[in-house]
Amino acid sequence: MFKKPTLTTTLIIIVGFLTLCPVIMLLLGSFSKDFVSFGQFTTSKYIAAYTDPDFADILVNTVIFTVGSALHATLLALFLAYVNTRTDLPFKFIFKIISIIPMMIPHILFSASWVLLLNPSNGILNRLFMNLFETREALFNIYSLKGMILVEGLLDLPIAYLIIAPAMSAFDVSLEESSKVCGASNLRTLFKVTLPVLRPAILASAILVIVRSLASFAVPSVVGMPGRIYVLSTHIYRNISSGFAADYGLAAAIGMSALVASITLIYVYRYLTAESGKFVTISSRGFKPTLLRLKKWKYPLLVIVGILSFVLILLPVLVLFYISMLPYSMPPSARAFSLMSWNNWIEVLNDPISLLSLKNSLFLGVVGATLGTILSIFVSYVIVKIRTTASGILESLSFLSFSFPGIVIGVGFMWFFVRTPLYGTLTALMIGYIATYLPYGIRPLSSAFIQIHSTLEESSRVCGGSPFYTLRRVIIPLLIPGIVSGWILMASMFLRELTLSVVLSRPGTEVLAVQILRFAEDGLWGRLSALGIIMILISSLLVIIAALLGSRFSKLEVVDR
Amino acid sequence: MEIRIQDLVRTYSSEGKQIKALDHVDLTIPANRIFTLLGPSGCGKTTLLRCIVGLEVPDGGEIYIGDELVWSKEKNIFVPPERRGLGMVFQTYAIWPHMNVFDNVAYPLQTQKMAKEEIRRKVAKVLDFVQLSGYENRPATKLSGGQQQRVALARALVAEPKVILFDEPLSNLDAKLREETRKELRSFLTELQITAIYVTHDRVEALALSDLIAVMRSGKIIEINEPKKIYFNSDSQFVADFIGRANLIRGTVEELDGDHAVFASEIGPVRALNSQQIPLGQEAFLCVRPEFIRLAKERKEEQNSYSGKVETLIFIGEAFEGEIRIGETLLTTTVEPTADFREGDSIAVSFDPDHCFLLAS
Repeated sequence: MFKKPTLTTTLIIIVGFLTLCPVIMLLLGSFSKDFVSFGQFTTSKYIAAYTDPDFADILVNTVIFTVGSALHATLLALFLAYVNTRTDLPFKFIFKIISIIPMMIPHILFSASWVLLLNPSNGILNRLFMNLFETREALFNIYSLKGMILVEGLLDLPIAYLIIAPAMSAFDVSLEESSKVCGASNLRTLFKVTLPVLRPAILASAILVIVRSLASFAVPSVVGMPGRIYVLSTHIYRNISSGFAADYGLAAAIGMSALVASITLIYVYRYLTAESGKFVTISSRGFKPTLLRLKKWKYPLLVIVGILSFVLILLPVLVLFYISMLPYSMPPSARAFSLMSWNNWIEVLNDPISLLSLKNSLFLGVVGATLGTILSIFVSYVIVKIRTTASGILESLSFLSFSFPGIVIGVGFMWFFVRTPLYGTLTALMIGYIATYLPYGIRPLSSAFIQIHSTLEESSRVCGGSPFYTLRRVIIPLLIPGIVSGWILMASMFLRELTLSVVLSRPGTEVLAVQILRFAEDGLWGRLSALGIIMILISSLLVIIAALLGSRFSKLEVVDR
Repeated sequence: MEIRIQDLVRTYSSEGKQIKALDHVDLTIPANRIFTLLGPSGCGKTTLLRCIVGLEVPDGGEIYIGDELVWSKEKNIFVPPERRGLGMVFQTYAIWPHMNVFDNVAYPLQTQKMAKEEIRRKVAKVLDFVQLSGYENRPATKLSGGQQQRVALARALVAEPKVILFDEPLSNLDAKLREETRKELRSFLTELQITAIYVTHDRVEALALSDLIAVMRSGKIIEINEPKKIYFNSDSQFVADFIGRANLIRGTVEELDGDHAVFASEIGPVRALNSQQIPLGQEAFLCVRPEFIRLAKERKEEQNSYSGKVETLIFIGEAFEGEIRIGETLLTTTVEPTADFREGDSIAVSFDPDHCFLLAS
């Protein structure tokens, strides 16, 4: 009871350091000439960054890419959510899979698989098309803004769906019913009543996708850079990855605009979601809306949804596995099958850097997620159970990093780590990871804490349990499910982490996603695919182990007697 | 074990306003009785309970449990709840969902590091007492509301505390179960010879269960008395009104006569109990409960007898609820379902001088 204020303060210092340090260092760095002359004020980097003749093009590309992705993801999510909650389409479990599973496929692998399908020279789909129609024109050139939007939109579909679907199912159907009673057709009702009422959720989803695609690095680097199409994130990357001439001051100055844009958008998003709470009416009676009968549309729609889930989930994994067995990319044919071998796998497993990156990513995933979860437990406890002004500050602080683009934060951390012995160590990567992905741990844990009603603690105290005994026997066991899902989320994020790592990773601290990016840059698609499949296997394995451990733990309490 | 509370103060600040949840409460709760804190919501009864248990820290005053001082602002003493040795049943029962019935009930003994055999024996005994034998391995989430309530009671009793506290334990049960559980609880507590402190806002519950009732209002204790005394002859207008339906009739004391007084009221002179000894000529209220108003077709010559008219008569199943007009005054009454009165009938109204009483206004 008397220790709580100090706990809150300690956490504010830790979380405040993690979230604000990179931002402050970024700001200071953007006004510095280079690492050596840190602290000597200069605006030269800003002048260089924003008078660059290419900058206008990059800005236009960024706007088209982010807004296009937002439209793509949101329209698709709207369609899926409507079909799921409001029609009698069979096999609805597909929607749950569509909304969750793609999060398990790392973005860089998803992008790579689309490049393998649709690149203009030897993309599998393009080749099939050329052979079929005996033409030399590719069906679709993925190395374009259109291609980037296609892939990014699919990647952000789950996020858009998770925002729109609940709003759609919480929607009070009597609003629609009254419109129909007034004589409006189904279509008219959809456009005049349903969509306008859902507007805040739709806008919120669009804005969140804009923020995500602004921060996206996998798609712009794997899909955009080969076509020389640069957006803000790849423009920053270009300035720090060019060997000897890396300019972190310039990168920081460019990064500031991405950071400001992102924070502004998240602010608008927060405002909109607060609004939508007032807007969307949740009827307290738990009745189900009458489902729209699809009749003859049933099977065409089912085919569309089926294709979409195939494209989102199975296709990337299949393509990667197929390519991993081939010496070079080619469409499926008798010849292709005759050339299949495990050579790429053998090479990857004998490549010291790939093995090192595997070891490093595993270490970061397991140790980092464990530390991150421990921090999340304390932070969630303070946020949920101690409702003071200070805990409010902690809450805002811990969700702030959600709006920071990863590569920008990476540059900020770089300015910090280069001044410490942590530079080029796994610890530096781990600190960066935890800072960036803290919200992923806090969210499941704070909902777990919310479910632990205070009387469950109080009754333990009255029964003679000291605060520590109560923690051990009551609070921790009830928290286990939240701890497990927080750990899984963080571990799978850390295993695949790319955007922060491309900045902070140094020789010796390579990680999986960076190694995959190197393979993509060198055109070693076979090895990329083999390593990618290994990465997917490991993260699935981690998820399974964590889930098993979680169910063991929650049963333990009953067995222990 | 006796509980003594001296000058207890607890203030909340909410939206810039200071709310006194406990306003200098002095109270002695006698040993081995069922003591109820009754009052409307927000009167401070739950705060008082939580201060006794130690879940809430008062702003001033002293609390003794038996001879032990468990809280004193001045002497800087705060004994945490786990070392006060009390048992408590929460409103939501607070059964731990991740444990089965055995572990829930054994918990207080496990905190004392008691031998496993001993624990098993005591849990079996207390589960038998609350009639839950054979439910040991049932997960807590697979219990009905009534069963959860008994598990909570068993958990509160298993360590054989000298004092057990109840925070509205019946309010989550449906009406029928609540009545049954109330009777059971009464017989459990009488059998145990234990000090029980019971918080409720339900007057029927308070009347049916308690040996003593303390009625609270805005952080103060208004009256402490036995249920019958509170119901039939309360000292305060608030308590009389809160504890049951009451007709309050304004008037002045006209004549004193031992325990009784003659009261000049809007409906005429009334002979009534005057246990508060309200002096001659004083303005006061007459309190008559609906169930003590007798109706008849013909007026007989007796004390407190008046002519009236049936204004409304509503059938509510077990009785009629009627409104009788005497002059300008409307009296609420309960009429037997077999009575053959109709709305608009002229009628004789009477009530016994021992069943109505005067309240200072």
